[in-house]
Amino acid sequence: MANTERKETNHQTSKSNNPSRLSWLWSEYSVIIAFLIIFIAASIMSPRFLDINNQLNILMHVSIIGIIALGMTVVMLSGGIDLSVGSVLALVGVITVIALNASGSIFVAVLTAFIVGSFAGLLNGLMVAKGKIASFIATLGMMAAARSIALYIADGGSMSGEVSGFTAIANSDLWMIDYPIIIFLIMTACVYILMHKTRFGRYVYAIGSNEKAAVLSAIRVNRVKLGVYSLAGLLVSVAAIIETSRLNSISSSSSGMLYELDAIAAVIIGGTRMTGGKGKIIGTFFGVLILGILNNTMNLMNVSPHLQGLVKGLIIIIAVVFQKRE
Amino acid sequence: MSTNPFMAMKNIKKSFNNVPVLKDVSLTVEHGEIHALLGENGAGKSTLMNILGGVHQPDNGTIYVNGKNAKMTNPRVSQQHGISFIHQELNVVSDLRVYENMFLGSELCNKMGFVKVEEMCKQSSEVLAELGVEINPKEYVRNLDTSYKQLIEISKALLHNSTLIIMDEPTSALAEHEVDRLFELMKNLKKSGVSIIYISHKLKEIKEVCDRYTVLRDGELVGGGSMENENLDTITNLMVGKSVSEDRFVQEHEFGPAALEVNNLTDKEFFNDINFTVHKGEIAGFTGLAGDGRTELFESLFGYRKKYTGEIKINGQVVNISHPKHALKAGLGLVPKDRKENAIIKDLSVVHNMSLSSMAHFEKTGFIQEKVEKSKFQYYKEKLNIKVANPGVTIDKLSGGNQQKVVIAKWLEVNTDIIIFDNPTQGIDVGAKREIYQHIIELAEQGKGVIILSSEAPELLKICHNIHVMYQGEITAEFKGENATEDGIMSYATGSKREVVTIG
Repeated sequence: MANTERKETNHQTSKSNNPSRLSWLWSEYSVIIAFLIIFIAASIMSPRFLDINNQLNILMHVSIIGIIALGMTVVMLSGGIDLSVGSVLALVGVITVIALNASGSIFVAVLTAFIVGSFAGLLNGLMVAKGKIASFIATLGMMAAARSIALYIADGGSMSGEVSGFTAIANSDLWMIDYPIIIFLIMTACVYILMHKTRFGRYVYAIGSNEKAAVLSAIRVNRVKLGVYSLAGLLVSVAAIIETSRLNSISSSSSGMLYELDAIAAVIIGGTRMTGGKGKIIGTFFGVLILGILNNTMNLMNVSPHLQGLVKGLIIIIAVVFQKRE
Repeated sequence: MSTNPFMAMKNIKKSFNNVPVLKDVSLTVEHGEIHALLGENGAGKSTLMNILGGVHQPDNGTIYVNGKNAKMTNPRVSQQHGISFIHQELNVVSDLRVYENMFLGSELCNKMGFVKVEEMCKQSSEVLAELGVEINPKEYVRNLDTSYKQLIEISKALLHNSTLIIMDEPTSALAEHEVDRLFELMKNLKKSGVSIIYISHKLKEIKEVCDRYTVLRDGELVGGGSMENENLDTITNLMVGKSVSEDRFVQEHEFGPAALEVNNLTDKEFFNDINFTVHKGEIAGFTGLAGDGRTELFESLFGYRKKYTGEIKINGQVVNISHPKHALKAGLGLVPKDRKENAIIKDLSVVHNMSLSSMAHFEKTGFIQEKVEKSKFQYYKEKLNIKVANPGVTIDKLSGGNQQKVVIAKWLEVNTDIIIFDNPTQGIDVGAKREIYQHIIELAEQGKGVIILSSEAPELLKICHNIHVMYQGEITAEFKGENATEDGIMSYATGSKREVVTIG
């Protein structure tokens, strides 16, 4: 036993060996390779795809889901899941608009959004860490509750901002790159650093991989979990600000609908393991892009919007099948 | 004795990877007898029973059932010969009802393919009544006591018309009154002609219920006979063997002041009124058999379990530990047992596993410095002789011994005053074992308090200054390392002897 294991180690580490190097490349960066393949296929199928405006359009479209998916990645790495992101987005949006209109200050509105979002996340975290409720159940409850509060506050309708300047957040650009894209890229970099360069990230991986061993390694697992869900909530509030600012209004009934599914799909396509402990922020980034390119290409090619769900579904399942094989 | 035994295994030989596990072992069981199969961990008892149960095939030797040659090619064949195996971990599904468990895999169905619930309930009640117990067959198994779960397994065996039941350490999970009930039942079964092979460490129980015994040691048959006029000490000697005079590794030296003092520690479920002291520079061993509560005791000290009462003093200070993080701060480290479940994070790299409990050592302004981490690992790699070509690979690629060394490195890096090792050499080859012993002794020489939990008495005899023996949640004896003997430890660990411990 011991011998064969040691051989495997040698095999893994000898990178001079060409075939093994290729498979190493595949296992580490399969999502990037898949991204390149889809990118090239899309540019062949539709000549307009490569247009710089179209490219920016794709990025603009995925930025909201992308920011949510970053938080979802952290939650899923810790071994949980957060189904409440879409509803919390609507709730945060509604309360943000109220705060905006009441105070007339964009700063107060943004601050309110951050507080509401991370508080909703903290509640999720408390239920999961202290209450020992399965994350699926806890966040399912939050999903229903947050949506319901949003509907109640907005009386089932939409709410519009009355402060000029708030719309600038999502509708301005810097050298033709829209702000939401820049925010998405900055958030990706921040979460990447958090997960790979700080102890918080290390602990999240450890908890997702083996929670008991993490406790016995003197990690305060409950506190880390609270942090994980609060972070996810905070990122949802960033997405909510962009969503609200883009049209200067938020719908309590339809905003954020099914965002949780798109975010989870992006995380899964990005190669993060459902049960936690394994996965990468970069993977999620490319997972988000893959979803965006698929949507965009199908629109360019005039595929019926009713069929687009089918393609998305197939891609998710194919992605998981490939990951299983490793 | 009798010329026509019910079951006979003759000259069984079996090797795993060219390591002989059974060397020419024979075993006979009569009709309606309770036969004790004894031996220490690794003596070959389980292998022998797995061969009888059809799980393993012998390299050599034959099995006779009712005088006829029987080839146990798989567990089903064995069952058809009337042999049932009740494992130490009970194989009942707690979310199913009693009758559903008893007929699991052999449900009675009518012509339409629907299960005949009433018929199965009736048969279940009948069998249970035969055993002298009354359980509602429609009760959910999760609501039953452990002893009743065992009963269900036994009834299942009887439903299959088993005439030989193998019980592997059946009492390890049972309370005392439940044990009595089990023994009553075994005697009833015996009367109705069923034979039982009873595997246990607990000699007192064996004396109470068994007719004959067979002792294995290191895969060899070393003795057997009738239980009646046998002395427990003789059997203990047979199990342990006389000639285990391996060198003691540890040097005697002066201890420092008390590092860890435990007073009246009690947990309702696992241990009762525990008192002991470990000094700086001392290696204290704790041993016992399954169910002695030593792992739970030290997990409680370490803050992993919280429901206990009593007082813990570290370096003279009373401490209140409710999370392993507090334990670490108070100066307590724990290298847990069952590496795979409790110690390693298999998705993290070797280096990251090493640094996990002491991240603060590798941080600068909140960011991890991978270079410092790597160079520190290099230090431990040389110090502990960890064999890994690329420390960036995930830890599950390493062999067991090297994984264990990484876990030890993790706690050396934390550098606590007291380190607890739970089964530190579990599943590790001899060479690595020796290295680990040396590091443990080195720690004591540096003045740390070291505690070792182990089920292997010889291991403790080699490296401990003091040995505490536990039996069912209590410390039943304390030995000075140089005075301890294996049979001495064994007789307290099996509960056949008891002494009131006073710690001065």
